[in-house]
Amino acid sequence: MANFKIKKGFDVKVIGKPKTHVEEYASQQLFAVYPSEFEGLKPRLKVKAGETVKRGDVLFENKKNEKMLFRSPCCGTVKAVNLGARRFPVEILIEKSAEEESVTFETYTRDSVGQLSREQVADHLLNTGLWPLIKQRPFNKIADPETAPKAIFINAANSAPFQADFSVVLKGDEDAFQTGINALAKLTEGKVHLCKTAGSDIPEFGNTESHTFAGKHPSGTTSVHINRISPILPNDTVYTVTAQDVVLIGKLLSTGELPRTKVIALAGPAVKEEFRQYYKVEVGASLEPLLSKSLEGDEVRVINGNILWGGKVANDTAVPYYGSEIFALEEDRSRHLMGWTMPGLFQYSSHRVNLSSVMGLGHEWKLGTSMHGSHRAMVVTGWMDKFQPLNIMTDFLVRAALAHDTDEMIQLGILETDPEDFALASFVDPHKTDVCGIIKRGLEEIEEEGI
Amino acid sequence: MKALFDFMDKNIGPLFEKGGKFERLYPLWEAGDTFNRTPGDVTPSAPHVRDSIDQKRLMIFVIYALIPCILFGIWNAGNQFNMNNGVEDATLMTDILRGASMVLPIIMVSYMVGGIWEVLFAIVRRHEINEGFLVTGMLFPLILPPTLPLWQVAVGVSFGIVIGKEIFGGVGYNILNPALTARAFLFFAYPAQISGDKVWVGTAKTAFDNNPIFGTVAENVDGVTMATPLAVAAAVEKGGDAIKAMADQGFTLFNMTMGNIPGCIGSTSVVAIVLGMIFLIATGIASWRVMLSGIIGCAAMGALFNVLPLDNPFAALPFVYHIVMGGFLFGIVFMATDPVSASATNTGKYIYGFLIGALTVLIRVANPAYPEGAMLAILFMNVMAPLIDHFVVQGHIKKRTAYARALNNA
Repeated sequence: MANFKIKKGFDVKVIGKPKTHVEEYASQQLFAVYPSEFEGLKPRLKVKAGETVKRGDVLFENKKNEKMLFRSPCCGTVKAVNLGARRFPVEILIEKSAEEESVTFETYTRDSVGQLSREQVADHLLNTGLWPLIKQRPFNKIADPETAPKAIFINAANSAPFQADFSVVLKGDEDAFQTGINALAKLTEGKVHLCKTAGSDIPEFGNTESHTFAGKHPSGTTSVHINRISPILPNDTVYTVTAQDVVLIGKLLSTGELPRTKVIALAGPAVKEEFRQYYKVEVGASLEPLLSKSLEGDEVRVINGNILWGGKVANDTAVPYYGSEIFALEEDRSRHLMGWTMPGLFQYSSHRVNLSSVMGLGHEWKLGTSMHGSHRAMVVTGWMDKFQPLNIMTDFLVRAALAHDTDEMIQLGILETDPEDFALASFVDPHKTDVCGIIKRGLEEIEEEGI
Repeated sequence: MKALFDFMDKNIGPLFEKGGKFERLYPLWEAGDTFNRTPGDVTPSAPHVRDSIDQKRLMIFVIYALIPCILFGIWNAGNQFNMNNGVEDATLMTDILRGASMVLPIIMVSYMVGGIWEVLFAIVRRHEINEGFLVTGMLFPLILPPTLPLWQVAVGVSFGIVIGKEIFGGVGYNILNPALTARAFLFFAYPAQISGDKVWVGTAKTAFDNNPIFGTVAENVDGVTMATPLAVAAAVEKGGDAIKAMADQGFTLFNMTMGNIPGCIGSTSVVAIVLGMIFLIATGIASWRVMLSGIIGCAAMGALFNVLPLDNPFAALPFVYHIVMGGFLFGIVFMATDPVSASATNTGKYIYGFLIGALTVLIRVANPAYPEGAMLAILFMNVMAPLIDHFVVQGHIKKRTAYARALNNA
């Protein structure tokens, strides 16, 4: 148990914070599964369009590890399998049928989970399709079931606008959460760390060591937690999993069927005020009816994630496998007259060259997606490190990644990071460098070369 | 306004885009277009919002910080001319007009020639026109004597932009500060026009100089001889008193702080430079670490020379003189803080700044052949900056590995 105070950081002040009310979201007819969500996965399809599937039937498997299965979130007919580039299945659409048939799995109680061996837990999760919820560092990829991690980090913290607040998500599922923790604890010889935001009212749980993190974003990111609690050394592996996903694992174990629902936060400046709240949604269900009535604005970008990190998704997306928040903001293609010299009262900035930041306007902003400038060659100024609590010399790490210098990247600590940790560096950079993309490529290169 | 922009977007913009008639000239269109209005691009991927700062704003703010130096430099050039050519009916107005007639052509040539190179390289290498040259093109004239022939300005800025910057790939890739590279080139290639005691004050030689709007000027065949404080201090004989020798020529501490003395166009007035410095630090554009440690380094080296038993009157000068004399303060505020050529680590910035200050005094005192030590000190430290950073980064790597191991063993 330790309390950490993160000194460096920056909170993007944006309107659209969700209320802590959780609303039941009516059941949907259309479901979707996106194999593209699993980065680096080579899926082998097990279903074709027109086939009927039971809830829990295998949709596809991992070509590289055939034990890793991905199962259907609902019972019905496969409506379509849409292929993308190189015949990669981008989405599998399933129409729900009136009658429901389910595949059932073994059930466990909070305590009987503790009697299982590591292999049994891993096999059960692989078989039921929930294993991919567990990621591993370095490289932040789906955990390798064969390597035992030195520790497992459960992220129950939130700091970016607007990550789902786990204390809201958890309500009523405390038992399932504990069951999930007990299962995870079997996967490691080391500790299970539960990392919370300071001041949140998440109770203590057995089998874990809990820590609190205070401070601005990125105090809530897993990388910061690992860096402060037990940094990754060469040849180390740690597992990471978000707290919401531990609830799903717990539900699976205790009910013996795939978890039906999860809680997501819908937030952002382009969401109508009355809809900015939490929703209990069916896993995989289409969000189209909800999004179509709750978004406002001419051209809205929907993000599976928060304002700083997450992929763009379609406006009719289904509840994704990963993530517990949807953020929406307007595409801002507006052009400002002589932006280089205007006082900048109405432009949001973390630098003191805008009057808005000098005068300390503390209010929240209706931010859009504008780049606010064009791309220029990167200059190593030390600015990218301004809000970086990780001890990694961001500018030099980015430079090493640009130069494909894998040795220096590793020495500077790229293995501790995820592209997500560079979102603020991208944000503050006046040269509009795609820092996250550069780091992502750097990590891929190291992974290819092997460390 | 909007109608005009719409018209341009619809009818003129496409000519420069891919497949358009003037495709190759796209950088020109882009520069003009984004000068008028910020680009309308949206973030391609996460993070989905960006700070509203961009390089244009950053660079323009450096120019804003230079305004006191520019204005003072214009007045001072005219004032020095009128004082030393015996213009009796000189007023503030004629000072400014005279100064403007000397300084503005230099600035214009610097911008035009520098701009042509920048645009040429942008078109040939197909990158966007970088705003960095706005700063280079303004810094360079400010560190020149007001009498420099315009062709030398053109040659100098060409060397600075092409050799100092563009052959490395443009702003962000260069090793040396381009403006200082340009000046160093002129200093070694044409020393007669940039050093000595005949270049700091203009001389009335031509019919143009007798133009009545500038005041009545008598023809002055011999030229005006006015040394700079640095030259005076360096010329003091052994056993002499440098402070007195300087005060005799009018170089008191007060005058040198105010800046109404002969010297480079923009770098004589401490007051104007400090105004710019406050602006740069307040807006957070330039590194206060470099400036602070530079001034400390200069003071420390000056004080060290004071206590060393050297029979050199220049060495006996109080360190305050070193800070206000010559181009040091201008250099440490505007040149040394150039983020491309300076150290990037925080520790590195302290070392880099400190050594610039110390080296400036060392060169001034120990090597009287180059009275202006700041230029060479900054260029030398530009070269050394990557090395400093290298050692800082290596030290950091050691520390972070030790930190990780300690936490894991705990």
